[in-house]
Amino acid sequence: MIDTAIVIGIIRILFVCIIITAAYIISTRNLLSVVSVYALQSLTLVAIAISLFSLEGSIVLLEIALVTFFSKVIIIPYFIATIQEKIRIKRDIEFHYLNPTSSLLLSMVLMLVIYMALSKIVPETPAHNSLFLFGAVLGISLMLMGMMVTFSRKRAITKVLGFLSMENGVLLFGMFVTELPFIIEFLIIIDLIILVILTAVLSVGIDSTLEDYHKRLHQFHLLKDSEEI
Amino acid sequence: MILISFVLVSVVSLVLIAITRNHRHMNTVCIMQALIFAALAVYLALTQHVPVFSFLVGSQYFFIDHFGLFEVLIATVIFTCAATYARGYVEGLLESGELEKGSLKLFYAAWTLLLLLIVFAFFSDNFALFWIFAELTTVISAMLIAILAARENIDAAFKYIFIASISMLFAFVGFIFLFEISRVSLGTGTLNWTVLMQYADRFPTGMLIASFVLVFIGFAAKSGIFPFHTWLPEAHAKAPSAVSAILSGVLLNVGIYGIIRMYAIVHQTIAFTTLAPMITVFGLLTVGISAISMLPQKNLKKLVAFSSVENMGIMLVGLAISTPVALFWVLFQIVAHSLTKASMFFSAGILHRQYRNRFSSDAPDDIRDIFRLQPFAAWIIILSGLAIIGMPPFPLFFSEFFIMLQLGAASLWVLGIMLLLLFIASVGLGYFVLTTFTQMSEPDTGSDIEPYLTPASMKVPIIFLIGLLLIIGIFLPSHGMEYLNQIVMELKF
Repeated sequence: MIDTAIVIGIIRILFVCIIITAAYIISTRNLLSVVSVYALQSLTLVAIAISLFSLEGSIVLLEIALVTFFSKVIIIPYFIATIQEKIRIKRDIEFHYLNPTSSLLLSMVLMLVIYMALSKIVPETPAHNSLFLFGAVLGISLMLMGMMVTFSRKRAITKVLGFLSMENGVLLFGMFVTELPFIIEFLIIIDLIILVILTAVLSVGIDSTLEDYHKRLHQFHLLKDSEEI
Repeated sequence: MILISFVLVSVVSLVLIAITRNHRHMNTVCIMQALIFAALAVYLALTQHVPVFSFLVGSQYFFIDHFGLFEVLIATVIFTCAATYARGYVEGLLESGELEKGSLKLFYAAWTLLLLLIVFAFFSDNFALFWIFAELTTVISAMLIAILAARENIDAAFKYIFIASISMLFAFVGFIFLFEISRVSLGTGTLNWTVLMQYADRFPTGMLIASFVLVFIGFAAKSGIFPFHTWLPEAHAKAPSAVSAILSGVLLNVGIYGIIRMYAIVHQTIAFTTLAPMITVFGLLTVGISAISMLPQKNLKKLVAFSSVENMGIMLVGLAISTPVALFWVLFQIVAHSLTKASMFFSAGILHRQYRNRFSSDAPDDIRDIFRLQPFAAWIIILSGLAIIGMPPFPLFFSEFFIMLQLGAASLWVLGIMLLLLFIASVGLGYFVLTTFTQMSEPDTGSDIEPYLTPASMKVPIIFLIGLLLIIGIFLPSHGMEYLNQIVMELKF
């Protein structure tokens, strides 16, 4: 067994990694790197789950790590990358309401607010030590940051990535607040995969730059188009 | 066994849809599936002692209680009608090229799957399971909206998926809270509704309020409660009318069902005294926003969609009163609203075939000479319009009347606001009917419009639904009332 102090130190470093990836997803205009950063974020989650396992020894965490690794580090990023090649847009420079700088500032404020709110609620539960509180705060913050991405971006494919990053936040929150049964974690991943497939297929229709000309006249067929473009 | 028979029927239907290439065959399969489901539900309600215990049912994952069965009964009736209606309607879509032949299989497969998922959602005893089934219904129904493959349909489907799924993630966090609450108070964490109900009075109120608020966000989005209602008018207006009827008549119920189940747990503790005012405010805002949006509305399907939002608001306010009588009439409102709204969307679909705007389903309807071209649909719109604003002898009159009565006992001010808003909504609907239905075309230009020949398969479900509404409204069947009472008892109000 590794020393607990070291493990806690490692988890803290991983927390910082999560914040960096979330900030990058919020602020970048480069579409291709968003996917790889998302994969990196999921990988960090896997690492956190494994570190927590060495701390608590609950086998569920290991299962979560395994499923997360296969679904969110390999399958989903690969799938989205293929879709992106089909759409052929590399940059996402259109923003609604918020530009990257203000969303970064906003997310800092959000983190602070969530910290204050959760530190009031969480002491009621046994998970009161600072690491767990911090994990929960980070989970919710990651969720809200992902939500900002979905609301502030115009491209459907970036919206999907925002949603995925939200779901990472939920996973993080779940890991630190309580021990969810594995089956529940698994359900949410199934939901995720189906949602990603559907939205990705649809976004081929909506994001393709070719489409901008024939907004209404051109009626395209979902499946056929995704093969053609 | 009963759950397996639901699955088996659906699997057989899916296989049959996969084999056949003929639209009529696919449609017949869907009608049969919905009919068999309805028969199974009726069989359960009539012959079995509810709550049912059989294989898998009554385990910690699935159960069949009065409330779930009630929702399933509504869902299967609406699905049967919608599938029958789709026979003529989808044919029309195919002819006009709005729906491509290649998408037909996908359409009916998604349809079949949607019904199965909805039934499973209502039979889940576990919040996590219910959550996943509710989520999947969002995804599948979004597919049914996007199936027309016009750009604006995909837009609407996207909006629906993102708003609903993001909010449902909040609901999931709420369930994580609930799990932790039960772990602290009971020793082992559980999301099993029956167990949670049993020990709800032990739960700490602070955490429970946080949990309820998060869950409420999720299911409010699913049922189109303000401020998460923005997806609803677009999705309902752009979906094919057969699908709109399902979205409005069945899928909104999934959201309200989740809220009621969760509220039943909260109601066991004193936390509900904090939450009831919050729900009332959201309900009032929902009714208010929809009523005001209905006034200038020129698009029939959007108008009807906003009226759904309004009805969800009424149900929410009714729930917030938290008396057994109010809950009883909320349940009554659920069934009455579903049936009325389905018939409205069906007849709106007939008008849509007649006056369809080729460029956008968003545009104002250019309805002219309606009584010459589509007298049937026009009269049904008027009839069901009267039903939806709560005119006797239609059942919504009773539910709205008694909910208002209960509301008056709780607070006269809220009742006053509510009545005013309901009045505005009725004016909006009435104004639309008066202005558009009286439009005549110029004598020399309008005569070349050919009336759209409505197939019988599109008329029969509408007549059936209106008939059913009248029967419920006039006779108020005592068995049904007794059944609703059982639900109220089971929810421990």
